[in-house]
Amino acid sequence: MNGMIKTFAAIGVLLGAGFFHGPVMAADAATADEAVAKVQAAARYLQGKGASGYADFNNASGRWVWKDSYVFVFDCRQDRMVAHPMRPDLVGRPIMQITDNAGKYIFKELCKVGASPGGWVEYAWQKPGAGALSRKITYTLAADVSFASGIHVGAGIYDDKITMAELAKVVEKITDPTKYPAH
Amino acid sequence: MAEQKLGNPAVVGLAGFGLTTMVLQFHNVGWMGLGPVVWLGLIFGGLAQMIAGLQEMKTGNNFGYCAFTAYGCFWIALALLLIGNHYDLYVSSKTDIGWFLVAWTAFTAILWIGALRINGALGLTFTLLLIGFILLDLAHFGWPQLTVVAGYELMATAAMAWYIMAHLIFADVYGRDVLPVGKPFIGGSSAPAQAATTLSGAH
Repeated sequence: MNGMIKTFAAIGVLLGAGFFHGPVMAADAATADEAVAKVQAAARYLQGKGASGYADFNNASGRWVWKDSYVFVFDCRQDRMVAHPMRPDLVGRPIMQITDNAGKYIFKELCKVGASPGGWVEYAWQKPGAGALSRKITYTLAADVSFASGIHVGAGIYDDKITMAELAKVVEKITDPTKYPAH
Repeated sequence: MAEQKLGNPAVVGLAGFGLTTMVLQFHNVGWMGLGPVVWLGLIFGGLAQMIAGLQEMKTGNNFGYCAFTAYGCFWIALALLLIGNHYDLYVSSKTDIGWFLVAWTAFTAILWIGALRINGALGLTFTLLLIGFILLDLAHFGWPQLTVVAGYELMATAAMAWYIMAHLIFADVYGRDVLPVGKPFIGGSSAPAQAATTLSGAH
């Protein structure tokens, strides 16, 4: 009897983890569409707000943080993190020397693909609230900010499966909706 | 009674114009941030150059009066634009700054024609300044990579302004013309107004 209860409990835990906890986690994960939309909105926002808009991106409970993702702002020209809601320790610090555990220079890659319509870079980064590193794919776009010429904004998703081709298609779809008429 | 010797306000105007222009280009080519540009722009390129410009009135030099006072105001306005953008006061977008620069380009073009008639060094300074402004205009309307080109080009402009400043100071302290400024690009039979030549230290 006692053994049976234990077995049911074990099955319950497994079910909970597999069928309930799993989908709940997935619903909380930011999507590629959201990342692109947020980054493009952030670039437009900074275009109008100029340097006075940076501070908003340091707010961990502000509009630029959603689900498990967030928008961060960096300067490829001046080599520094301009704003980051999760890592205040990085703000104002050089970024070009930052590598992931595979030795990839994350920001050198991000700065390369930022020209309009923006691009994706894959690397390993810590998910907010998690201890271990995850596969992160970040969409980044240059922002036209007065008195600055290297400002980029980026936001990433944590996804182990999505391919770079699928991600490129998301950008194309949002940037040029005429190619994808709504049915 | 011996007349008291007066200093030439142009030495301060050229010093402020040159140094602040130089420091802004250190920013434009990516060597440094904007902090020193704001404060030097307010006090040296701005206040000091503007006062020098206002002092030019008494020397009878309309070119210096207009140029130094106006570029002094340019620097104060630029510093205030930077401060405004930082504190969310009448924020200027990149194209707003572009139009601000277009207006200054047009103004500079008028002074450039005047400078060509004053002396070679001043003609060259204003030719470089005008090219620099045009490059910055283009940088704000679709060719951002030209900011760096404008940066190096305007460093040459600043160096030329300092050359004329050095010409005035050295001529004074050495008692002879150590650094000649050369003949104006546009000569002519009519002598330039005596006032205009004060910028070349000929008074």
